[in-house]
Amino acid sequence: MPALLELQLALRGRLFAEASSADDAPSLDDALLAGEDSALRLAIYRNTCMSALVNALRLSFPAVQRLVGADFFEAAAQQFIRASLPTSAYLNDYGADFPGFLSHFAPAAGLVYLGDVARLEWAVNRALHAGDALRLDLTGLAGLDEAALSRVSFTAHPAVTLLRLESPADAIWRSVLEQNDAAMAAIDLTGGPVHLLVERDAAGVQVRRLGAAAWEFTAQLCAGRPLYAVLAAGRHAMADAWLAEHLAAGRFVQFYVVAPSAGDSRL
Amino acid sequence: MPGTVHNLSEHSLIPAAAGIGLRFAHHELVLQARPDVAWFEVHAENFFGGGAVRRVLENVRRDYPLSLHGVGLSLGSAEPLDGEHLHRLAGLVRSIEPGLVSEHLSWSVVGGQYLADLLPLPMTEEALDVVCRHVEQAQAALQRRILIENPSTYLQFRHSTIPEWEFLAALAQRTGCGLLCDVNNIFVSASNHGWDPQSYLQGLPAAAVEEIHLAGHAVRVLDNGSTVRIDNHGACVAAEVWALYVQALRRFGARPTLIEWDTDIPAFEVLLDEASQAATLMRAVAAEDHACAA
Repeated sequence: MPALLELQLALRGRLFAEASSADDAPSLDDALLAGEDSALRLAIYRNTCMSALVNALRLSFPAVQRLVGADFFEAAAQQFIRASLPTSAYLNDYGADFPGFLSHFAPAAGLVYLGDVARLEWAVNRALHAGDALRLDLTGLAGLDEAALSRVSFTAHPAVTLLRLESPADAIWRSVLEQNDAAMAAIDLTGGPVHLLVERDAAGVQVRRLGAAAWEFTAQLCAGRPLYAVLAAGRHAMADAWLAEHLAAGRFVQFYVVAPSAGDSRL
Repeated sequence: MPGTVHNLSEHSLIPAAAGIGLRFAHHELVLQARPDVAWFEVHAENFFGGGAVRRVLENVRRDYPLSLHGVGLSLGSAEPLDGEHLHRLAGLVRSIEPGLVSEHLSWSVVGGQYLADLLPLPMTEEALDVVCRHVEQAQAALQRRILIENPSTYLQFRHSTIPEWEFLAALAQRTGCGLLCDVNNIFVSASNHGWDPQSYLQGLPAAAVEEIHLAGHAVRVLDNGSTVRIDNHGACVAAEVWALYVQALRRFGARPTLIEWDTDIPAFEVLLDEASQAATLMRAVAAEDHACAA
């Protein structure tokens, strides 16, 4: 009789093995009641597990599914799932690696923008489900001395993602979801790269295009680089306006003072 | 502060009446129309994040008693519980203050990977020890009693030594947890394994049963000609399950009863009709008690 852990590991093997290469787990065969019937009953669980995970990916990547079709999507998703099962039961967090998988998925090589559209959809999914956070309270800055002020960094709202994509994935994503064939046909597929800011506001998830300089400025702040350092390095004429807009939009939720020597460690 | 809910005490308790499992498809309708439903239950994991769906939950919580039903804690895993998952659940429970919190007698996680289904446990002393330990850990983290639901299963293990109803009774006795009696699951599992559903009901400790679930299931004929009932929550409650529900009411008394529907979700009116049927049966069985007492 297998110990519980041994049994659960053997079942995992059976549930996610390729149908053709059915995992040989003798301890499981010995443990299951009724021979032929048990294989058919195990298949019920196989179908449920796989379809629940394919569905989770379908919900997070609707435009990718429209671009490749439902059958193609299911085949790609199944291959991805077998290689990378979720590490948490919170399925809104599942699929971060799917865009990378699609970029290297040979049967989709013809759709050069597929990985970019998937990256954008993952950022949208993140923005949709990210936890709520309080708005940045700037009054604490008043208590800092000049030296500390020069080392102030910001923490971005968990819904914010900055993407630099080689293809105009935002335009593709929009026209695909709106099923607007005319808009799709009008897209200049060589019109990249695009610099995107994905976030959540009161109206829902927003995908905004930024200029390259504004994006670079924002990306550095979101990565935790101190504001003074970003300003000094960039000499951005518009930096005041960009920063004011970020603060007004609630894109930062916290500030912290970076240690003087170690450039990015938090106090 | 986001997430703060006021006037919790007004709607904290789940009444012994018919409630409905609230799914995304009906969020808008419930917010707009405020239908006459005694209480709602939601899947906890759907509200671990923030944003619009969390606002929906807070809104519903203000006007209805609310129960949280977890599907991902994997209490039957041989390995330790996912601390992050339990932490998220505890945060949601703190902020929503639901009337009931429930989970399943099953497992979904092994090797740190989530297999996305409520998988069957062997009914052994080892599994009982594991589930007791995890239920105690969950109750400590959530700082409240939780209910454990009997599963629907399609497979049995040769080395099982404890009938499922005795396993649940021992779990309730050892951990102090309550039980969620899913009548459809009893019917499905009893049919699939040749158990007697009456014995199952009789074997559950009545005082521990704090909630009842009802749902529809599918009947599938396997390639070898045998029939399996599949708990797909995709149909009206079957006539045999309504009959078993009456038996459950006679045994346990009136209990909060939930209508669940997750596959091919129908118009909300269909769920209201099912809930109304449950309420009618609850009243009828209560009247029997009166007749006996008189």
